[in-house]
Amino acid sequence: MDGKSLSDHAVEYGGKKGAQYSEARFVSSVDENYIARNGKFLSIQEKPTQGIGIRILVDGCMSFGSTDRLERKAVENLIDSLIRSAKQTRREEPIRLSEEKTIQKSWKSPVKVPFSDVSDEEKQDFIKKLDKALKQGTGKVIKNRVVFLNTKKEDKYVANSDGSRINSNRSYISILTVMNADVNGKREQRLLGLGSTSGWEWIKKKSIKKRIVKEAKKLAKTVRNAENVQFKEPIDVVVSGDVSGIMAHENVGHPSEADRIMGREGAQAGESFYKDLMEESEIGKIKMGNENVSIIDDPTMRGSPGHYLYDDECVKARKRYLVKNGYLNELLLNREYAHKFDTTSNAASRSNSYSREPIVRMSNTFFEPGQHTKEELIEDVEKGILMNSFTEWNIDDRRFHSKYVGLEAYLIKDGKVTDKMIKRPVLELTTESILQSIDAVSKDYVSRMATCGKSDPMQPVPVSVGGPHLRMRDIEVR
Amino acid sequence: MERFDEELLEMAVEEATRSGAKEAIAELVEEDTSQIRFSNSSIDVNKRWDRYHLDLFLSKGRPFSLGRKISTLTIQDPKPKKIRERVPKEVRKLEELPKSKLYWGMDGDSHSSYPKVNDLYDRSIESFYDKAPRLIENTIRESMKAGAKKVAGVLYFGKRKRGLLTSYGNGGTYKTSHCEATVRSFHESGSSGQNLVVRRDLSDIEENLLNAGRKAGELAKKSADANDGKEGTYDLIMNPTVGANIFGNLLIGANPIMWIAGMSCLKGKMGEQISSKKLSVRDDPLVDGGLNSRPFDAEGTPSKRTSIIQDGEFTGLINNTSSAKLWRFMNWKKLKFWVRPKTTSNSKLGQIGMTGTENDPRTLIPKPSNYVFEPGDYSFEEMISSSRRPTIYLTSNWYTRFTNMREGKFSTVPRDAMFLIKEGEIQRPLKNLRLKGDLIEMAKNIEEIGKELKQVKWWEVETPTFIPYIKIKDCKFTRARQ
Repeated sequence: MDGKSLSDHAVEYGGKKGAQYSEARFVSSVDENYIARNGKFLSIQEKPTQGIGIRILVDGCMSFGSTDRLERKAVENLIDSLIRSAKQTRREEPIRLSEEKTIQKSWKSPVKVPFSDVSDEEKQDFIKKLDKALKQGTGKVIKNRVVFLNTKKEDKYVANSDGSRINSNRSYISILTVMNADVNGKREQRLLGLGSTSGWEWIKKKSIKKRIVKEAKKLAKTVRNAENVQFKEPIDVVVSGDVSGIMAHENVGHPSEADRIMGREGAQAGESFYKDLMEESEIGKIKMGNENVSIIDDPTMRGSPGHYLYDDECVKARKRYLVKNGYLNELLLNREYAHKFDTTSNAASRSNSYSREPIVRMSNTFFEPGQHTKEELIEDVEKGILMNSFTEWNIDDRRFHSKYVGLEAYLIKDGKVTDKMIKRPVLELTTESILQSIDAVSKDYVSRMATCGKSDPMQPVPVSVGGPHLRMRDIEVR
Repeated sequence: MERFDEELLEMAVEEATRSGAKEAIAELVEEDTSQIRFSNSSIDVNKRWDRYHLDLFLSKGRPFSLGRKISTLTIQDPKPKKIRERVPKEVRKLEELPKSKLYWGMDGDSHSSYPKVNDLYDRSIESFYDKAPRLIENTIRESMKAGAKKVAGVLYFGKRKRGLLTSYGNGGTYKTSHCEATVRSFHESGSSGQNLVVRRDLSDIEENLLNAGRKAGELAKKSADANDGKEGTYDLIMNPTVGANIFGNLLIGANPIMWIAGMSCLKGKMGEQISSKKLSVRDDPLVDGGLNSRPFDAEGTPSKRTSIIQDGEFTGLINNTSSAKLWRFMNWKKLKFWVRPKTTSNSKLGQIGMTGTENDPRTLIPKPSNYVFEPGDYSFEEMISSSRRPTIYLTSNWYTRFTNMREGKFSTVPRDAMFLIKEGEIQRPLKNLRLKGDLIEMAKNIEEIGKELKQVKWWEVETPTFIPYIKIKDCKFTRARQ
């Protein structure tokens, strides 16, 4: 029995055994990984994986299981044990799923050059040339350069007892560069991830290599020139898309996840400060920031790291305005939490493997670009800093108290970016103060790939973080 | 374990060497793991994973060459036919790969016996599946009685059978069981407490779970009505959960691979005093009940203990055969000629990718087993009463991130109950502070070490760690003032 037939059988068998809802997800993937340090290879591997993940809802209780044994009997045994464990569970409030349209569709990520059409030599050659360019571009400053190249081809088939069937062929490529700069005892590190839901053609674009080398040069410049500066009074801060992207992800994306708000991630990834806001008012009426602040999560952006057209519960993906013109506008929902909020799912249900349950996740999260140029944002700053990239960051588990430490940062004086580089400026701010201090948003947009972690067992998924430049007024910089 | 077929190990190694591999390691693992996740005092989901796979590590190259060609193959649901088809193909592919500069060979000695490790398997795991939901319901009830308004958490349990055979004839087979729980209880918004259970044997598991629920509930209640903490310098008492996270980030640097990757603040500090003399830590794959305890590592090398820090001095790196050889080569100018770094029995087919997913590449690298801290003389109560300077007591933390791992500068976010101690007494709960630190500076500032060890492993601690309460002077706390 092939994976699809087995999935269909699992759904049917679950129904026969008394499940209110059953869902089977067959995933067959091939990962290729190349790891090199200073141009010398440490590991090259190809890893095919396949298996089936099954969710069963019985008497309002949910069970999830997976197996790599793709046999009818093994799947039936798994379902029997899942039904047994669901029946042993008691819940005062039964789990229910939102009603959704029945969909039977296929989708593919846009691929011009499949990874299988590219030789190992060409993939190795790309890394060698990249390392050579990094070395040439930065002299002896960046002594330690580690490059990870990953390609992933994933075929997925999701079937559920509502009659939906989604077949997808997703192709994903990412490159992560870890750079250690070291000059006269001064050290800085930069992790830069870039990725795309597409084929090998993405990495052949000159802009990819150029961008990595450009970031390496900036790191070399930072380690040489950045100096400690104390700011006694609040100043204006202009942050790049790199920094605004992580802020959108951490301060707004995560607290918008409905499962957090309702406490399901309580013991691990935490809850959300939105819960307090929603006890006092309702979605659409909660003011988060100035009217020029809109924050989007959009899985439909073709080629982006977080791209998909249907989620793992067979719901059609769409763009979601988490914050619109300064007001809390929409949460990230799967079917379980859509039902709790008496609405329909907005297709935020993702799983990173056949062996993981689908949960509420972000995709590509960013501040919506505004009307200004970056130069216009800067020319109106009397004293401030421009923060182009960041290093250390963290946030509390209700997503309110955050910290971002700048990496490449410059002093702005009288409307101009000076040559003076600031060493590790610290923004230790609440989400409220970040969103309310933004008075201008640029029209440019730049993003990079990040890996978002959530749940237990941990489910890292590719997302993009990025966006426009933001100008924040009267900020305490440490 | 119904699928485990030991004969596949021999078949895989034979197939590999016959096809041209110089060295091979076959590792066969069958595991049946379950999880119960709960929140809002109800079970959210029951999970079960049924996994059976064969990992095969292959190498080719001359014994004294600088690096060798390597490959790792995973065969899910392995059968003789799959082994006969895929292994020769993988060995042929090996020919086309460049040498890995990371790999310098495996343990070629012959090992006829392995140390006995206590408490690896408890047969009562077989009947645990059916009673686990009731135990969780009781744990939730116990926590509510102790003051919780709602309870969240996770329980993992299961069994695993592992078989190993190397092309040098080393290896064996053994079974393990495990049970790990996190209970996080909430009292009012922002007030919470956490407790952990990490066990191999299940003899007193019910009592342990109830105790964890009760302690988490009590902490949640005690930390209600917390005030914002004031920024400044305090002494710090870390409970085992916090210490395992923070000092785990220091210890992970006692690994040559982390030095090579530029991710260790211990680089170049071998033989130096890197902490208070009160601190001694070892890597211990033989400790009773350790979640990573085992008779042999991935090369079939018999397990042994390795001192990492002894009386404050940085005494050792964890190594496998390959990293020890590489280490010696890279440091031949500095090392005295009679110094021969050897494997410390820390070889593992470990993940080396950066995504953290199951699909990350795996290769033979040194990985820690269990960290075991040497206990000190203090009880927790004595640590509190001896606090004459303003002191903060942390019970949990998360999101530890580094400005620069090479320097060891970081910050971490306290979560759950946090208390201010003044004049030897717990004064009041605090909230909204962030700990800013330097790993080595903190290790040097250790003042008191507790006398009771607790095994910690949870979402924020990957390596099982036996660690007591630890008191550190002069720690910096900041907060978002704006």
